[in-house]
Amino acid sequence: MVAVKELQVASSTTALTADALRSRLEAIVMQMALDAHYGQHPELRPSLADLAIAAAELDGNPLASTPGLVQEAAAAIVQLHPDADADAVVLWAEAMAISTA
Amino acid sequence: MKQTVVLDNEAVQALLTASHPKHRKVLAHMQVVAMRKSKAASIITVAPTAVRVEAGCDRSAPTANLFNNLRIVDAALGTIEANSAVRIRAETGVSVADSHVGATIRSMASEGRVTVISSDPDDMVAVAGSVQVTMVAL
Repeated sequence: MVAVKELQVASSTTALTADALRSRLEAIVMQMALDAHYGQHPELRPSLADLAIAAAELDGNPLASTPGLVQEAAAAIVQLHPDADADAVVLWAEAMAISTA
Repeated sequence: MKQTVVLDNEAVQALLTASHPKHRKVLAHMQVVAMRKSKAASIITVAPTAVRVEAGCDRSAPTANLFNNLRIVDAALGTIEANSAVRIRAETGVSVADSHVGATIRSMASEGRVTVISSDPDDMVAVAGSVQVTMVAL
């Protein structure tokens, strides 16, 4: 009800629930397809740094043009957060860029 | 905010063939889309149907198995999009497929951010017109 009446991010709670479920199911199907593909072609599995650069590119983040910094951030973040994902690496790289500026 | 990732010709071709030189790069983008979907982000990947024709992407062929399973949605060339593509082609002189990309970009822009993965960023910016797009150059 909060999402519908106050935040107005969905037309109904049913629509909000259906969208979230569809997104989650699509993610599962995609990940299964990707994992199967990596299984057949292990050399194609992108590294965490590759994924972070891809994430930055998709968002038009200027960090995409500093792969060295992103690779450094990817190597650093997994020391403290082994499950860090690509978006977390981009944030880490942004923090590194600010701290060295 | 919703994000739409539009695939141009070489991005589609790259996904169809594991030996394609850009395959690993486009795969990384699709992996990011999957990751964001798993976090309930509103993000979709679309392939304009004219681009699929140009790229030789037949969804019924076994070679399109990965492409189909990556939940890439067709952006159809219906009446409204065809009219838009005709105008874009007249304005810019680009190919039919690129005109359809432009019509798709302009249509999707009303729903949120648009990112285009293409080996020809200049043409993509041209067909986008006044729409602000994020370009991923292959």
